[in-house]
Amino acid sequence: MGRSVIWGALALAILWSLSSADMGLEKLPGAGSRLTEFLGRMIPPDLSIWPEVLRGLAETLRIAILGTLFAIILSAGLAVLAAETLVPPAIWRPVRGMLAVIRSIPLILVAMLMVGAVGLGPLPGILAITFHATGMLAKFYSEAIDNVAAAPVAALESAGASRTQQLRWAIWPQMAPVILRDTVFRFELNLRESLILGIVGAGGIGLYVQTYVRSFQYDKAATVTLAIVGLVLLSEALNTALQKRFS
Amino acid sequence: MTAVIALNAVSHCFDGAAALTNLSLSVQPGESVALLGPSGAGKSTMLALLDGRLRGWQGQASVLGNQLSATRSPARETRADIGFIFQEFALVDRLSVYQNVMNGRLGRMKSWPALWGRFGEQDHICVTRALQDTGLSDLAHRRADRLSGGQRQRVAIARCLAQDPELILADEPVSNLDPAHAERILGLITGAARSRGIGVMFSSHQPELSRRFADRILGLRGGEILFDKRSGQVTSEDIDGLYHGISATAGLRVVS
Repeated sequence: MGRSVIWGALALAILWSLSSADMGLEKLPGAGSRLTEFLGRMIPPDLSIWPEVLRGLAETLRIAILGTLFAIILSAGLAVLAAETLVPPAIWRPVRGMLAVIRSIPLILVAMLMVGAVGLGPLPGILAITFHATGMLAKFYSEAIDNVAAAPVAALESAGASRTQQLRWAIWPQMAPVILRDTVFRFELNLRESLILGIVGAGGIGLYVQTYVRSFQYDKAATVTLAIVGLVLLSEALNTALQKRFS
Repeated sequence: MTAVIALNAVSHCFDGAAALTNLSLSVQPGESVALLGPSGAGKSTMLALLDGRLRGWQGQASVLGNQLSATRSPARETRADIGFIFQEFALVDRLSVYQNVMNGRLGRMKSWPALWGRFGEQDHICVTRALQDTGLSDLAHRRADRLSGGQRQRVAIARCLAQDPELILADEPVSNLDPAHAERILGLITGAARSRGIGVMFSSHQPELSRRFADRILGLRGGEILFDKRSGQVTSEDIDGLYHGISATAGLRVVS
């Protein structure tokens, strides 16, 4: 019975989504030719703007790197406060709640608020990425802490190892692969997300996307798109290569 | 001669249930003692107490001349002198066999150089010897999580031997080993007791092996010492009395 209720609800949701009158389905038949025209205007891409594109990409990369770096620093501290095995529930519960709220705020919204707070440029982008990524990284790090097996740590303590030695030779080896994997994963996300930050004025290549599309310079937009695709593929390859080493 | 272990009227309760009741005993250097008794007899509790890891017990206990506290761990030097072989092995899975054994040396080193993985010549010698003694030399560079249960147990033993302790406490050290390895390991640790004059106490479920390798056998049941005899004087009645009325399933006590 439960199953038929779920299927029924799913069907209703789809019907409801289709029922809207102003979706403009009638525009669909003409879209093909217009899309072909756009694509036609994108070819050949205008490569004369390479220097600008490279500057934009470099700025995006800087935003992603610094945003990730600051998120790592913040997360290291917050993760301790969110770890069930280290602090009482009166602390980790509210801290985890706060992290969940941070995660639920879309990056683009945070970026717009930051632009309002500190003005245009890469700084609001870095702040937005830092804020947004911390919500996820701190949660992952705290889980890494909570998953450390206690027995090997107790064994080193029993053998006379100092607290720092226990951290280095029993706790860190257990946490390291998880922390590194999560951090690289988050960096890749940060890079993808910072590509669009420029659209709201928070720095990086997104500004060029915005400018060229709005001013109908599709050949230049094509160059920017190619550059973005290249960067994303590169970061994905890097991530894949690194993930294999963390096990 | 100072006793390596001296207990005086030691008791401990887990959630109101008595785990150890009024235990008194002493163990001399060079002596190896086997703890026999059904599951739940208090063997692991007693070994954890002697290792300084148990909290909230009553009475007086000293190990290697140091008074144990019921509220905090012993000093680092004392912990380094007491070697413990854990029943669940307690290895760091992602580290190599070599590094796991080296971890037993940490208590003997300065804290800082060890953080960068710089260990002294003496430490490398101890680790190499411990690996040879436990038959693990060929596996030195394998990761601990790529080993079989018996191999992992031997790593735990090697870690303890590399520590070069004054007292070896072992919680069922040969439970996962085939007969040949079990004899080799028990021979190794009880041999160390005789040749180097250190104390050894191990728990076991194998009365025959225990009688062959230990000098002395302590029969523990319900947290009390049922008998405390030289190995040669332990009779099969003693052993039967120890396990009498204990069902084969999970050491549950049936009507006796």
